[in-house]
Amino acid sequence: MRNGALARLRHRSPVHGLDRRNLRPVEVLAQSVSTAAPAAGMATVPAIVATTAGTATVWSFALATAVALAVGACIATFTRRMAAAGSLYSLTAKGLGPGAAFACGAALVAGYAVLLMAALAGAALYTGAFLTRVGLAAPPAVGTAAVLVLAALTGGLVLRGVRVSARIVLAIEAVSITVMLVIFGVLLAGPSTPPPAPAETPSWSLVGVAAGVLPALGAFIGFEAATTLGVEARRPFASVPRAVLGTAGLVGLLSLLAAHTQVVGFAGALGGQPEPVVTLAAAHGTPWLAVLLDLGITTSFVACTLATANALVRVLFSMARDRIVPRRIGATHPRYRTPHVAIAVAVPVGAAVPAALFAAGLPGLTVLRGLLSVATAGYLVAYLLVALAAPLFLRRIGELTPGPVVVAAVAVPVLAVVCGAFVVSAAGGPVPVVLAALVLAALAWYAALRIARPDELAGIGVYDEPSAADVHVVSGPVGRAS
Amino acid sequence: MSGLDPLPLSGRQPRAVRSALAVLEEVVAAGPGVTAKEISAALKLPQATTYRLLNLLVAEEYLVRLPDLRGFALGRRAARLSLPVVTTPPTAARAVVDHLRGLVRWGVHLASFTAGQVTLVDTDPDHPPAEPTLLARYPHASALGKLLLAAQPDWRAVARDLRRFTEHTVVDASALDRQLSTFAATGIARQCGELRPDRGCLAVPVRAPGTGELVAGLALAGPPQRVAEPNDELVALLREHADRLSPLLA
Repeated sequence: MRNGALARLRHRSPVHGLDRRNLRPVEVLAQSVSTAAPAAGMATVPAIVATTAGTATVWSFALATAVALAVGACIATFTRRMAAAGSLYSLTAKGLGPGAAFACGAALVAGYAVLLMAALAGAALYTGAFLTRVGLAAPPAVGTAAVLVLAALTGGLVLRGVRVSARIVLAIEAVSITVMLVIFGVLLAGPSTPPPAPAETPSWSLVGVAAGVLPALGAFIGFEAATTLGVEARRPFASVPRAVLGTAGLVGLLSLLAAHTQVVGFAGALGGQPEPVVTLAAAHGTPWLAVLLDLGITTSFVACTLATANALVRVLFSMARDRIVPRRIGATHPRYRTPHVAIAVAVPVGAAVPAALFAAGLPGLTVLRGLLSVATAGYLVAYLLVALAAPLFLRRIGELTPGPVVVAAVAVPVLAVVCGAFVVSAAGGPVPVVLAALVLAALAWYAALRIARPDELAGIGVYDEPSAADVHVVSGPVGRAS
Repeated sequence: MSGLDPLPLSGRQPRAVRSALAVLEEVVAAGPGVTAKEISAALKLPQATTYRLLNLLVAEEYLVRLPDLRGFALGRRAARLSLPVVTTPPTAARAVVDHLRGLVRWGVHLASFTAGQVTLVDTDPDHPPAEPTLLARYPHASALGKLLLAAQPDWRAVARDLRRFTEHTVVDASALDRQLSTFAATGIARQCGELRPDRGCLAVPVRAPGTGELVAGLALAGPPQRVAEPNDELVALLREHADRLSPLLA
């Protein structure tokens, strides 16, 4: 009898305690856009891409946008069918099973946690740069203090409720993107007076364009963050996939605009410019744009801090409800309906690392680049796994069609190559050491779970299942033999 | 709430609407747990089209995807497509309500919640209640409606439009949420001039014996300033009659 299908319904959702179905679509979108933090990427990434792609930098960004859209389509396969708070971790579990889901979860926690550290470091760094530029030379201790103050504010806002933090994220991100559009609009409209070219520019080559895809993809990481709001979004099956795909498209367009402006501005000699937008602004006789740029990047990093903290605590919350991290972390605040224990654990850790690195006197830009590099590694692994999981998920639920297979067949090999390119490019320096330590920690954690909690591990992948109250049971003769 | 597209139907859209309704009908016919592939085969619709329609209907909450992620069942919103079936309360229950009317000088109303909304089933002839459609559509503004909302796991799915009727109507979602938590804890709902400025109401739940499921609400209507008072004796009387109704209505 079909009636058995309803017997598995729970009385309440396993992710109960969150502020269910309460966020507007634009607030869900802001979560994704802010985590991707397009402003910082617009200012810095094109110059990095240009070192290999040269005048074809725009093509590297176009390819990276296509890859991000393909990954977004794989994510949408899941988010049209299930509403989760655990982002790609919860989704992968439904396609690839517990081992891969654990790997995805570990990579994603590392990705979000280190991105939170990077966003805090970036916000502090560019606040300092802004102060210096307007003539207030800040002492070095300001960096550490800025990290701690921003982290405390973030913890408070993320705790206070998802609607409050989502609205603030939306407002700050809107300011940031407006500022960046003004800057690039002025640069594009102004007279083209290329500054002297200091570096040799590589000419157009297919290999160069392909090599540029890795740094260009770096501008997109975090675009999937709306998947952590599946439980809290008002119409999650519509708004979450739209937010993820929309962010991939929006970041792609902004990056293409930024890349085009800078390639044209430097007449092709963009590669390796340390501060391309500032140099361009000076050459155009509009040096005040530099102040605006610092403002745009600072606001972007502040929004990114908030959005990433929102995402990180929800992944930890989901893992706790899956019982693979301490159960207490899955508790929610009775009034604010946010995972308050996860916030109390995650935000101090996220603040301590950049604060300590600043206090140790490491140069801010080195700290920021190193952290972003580690975060990128985590995201690439998570993207690869979720793209692989999408067609398998569809096959498991009997809804496989050719379209998603084609998308995954394109995305998976490209991401595998990008991951390989990342390993090669990251060789040397402290980043591989940190990554190796993180991989070892994840393996040890996995081994411990295999021994202590094999049953919980086998059942991971908690999401907002429909409960008995969500189903309309028809009165009278229900169902038929099948 | 979803903003509906104001564009007129064009091209293949009429066909898509027909297909969507056919999918809904097939889920009802086949019963909960039917899979996408089975629906596609039964309706002879292309698979990709069927999956898209199913995802749309799930997004709109007319359908839900069951926990195995394969099967479908009717969602709560589908309940709004059918007329609520409410039976008149038995004579014994009406006698209990009449008995209460003889003891108090307030309006006494009985409402059923079994249709998922407030449906008045026995109203006081001497004190006509508010318009029944208002009570059904705007549960946030009436004591009976608040009683129903307080029993929901997610009241936002039921109260979609927090419309303001008077200056006292609670239209702020978090304020309403706090109010509903209080009502759920105390087992009595109260509104003073939220639907009509000159009317207030006290309501207590009638629960099924055994399961404790909310089946009906018994309400006293009167002047708002009187409703705001503690009314301990009155509430005790109201609860006593609600208890007597419970075996008669379940």
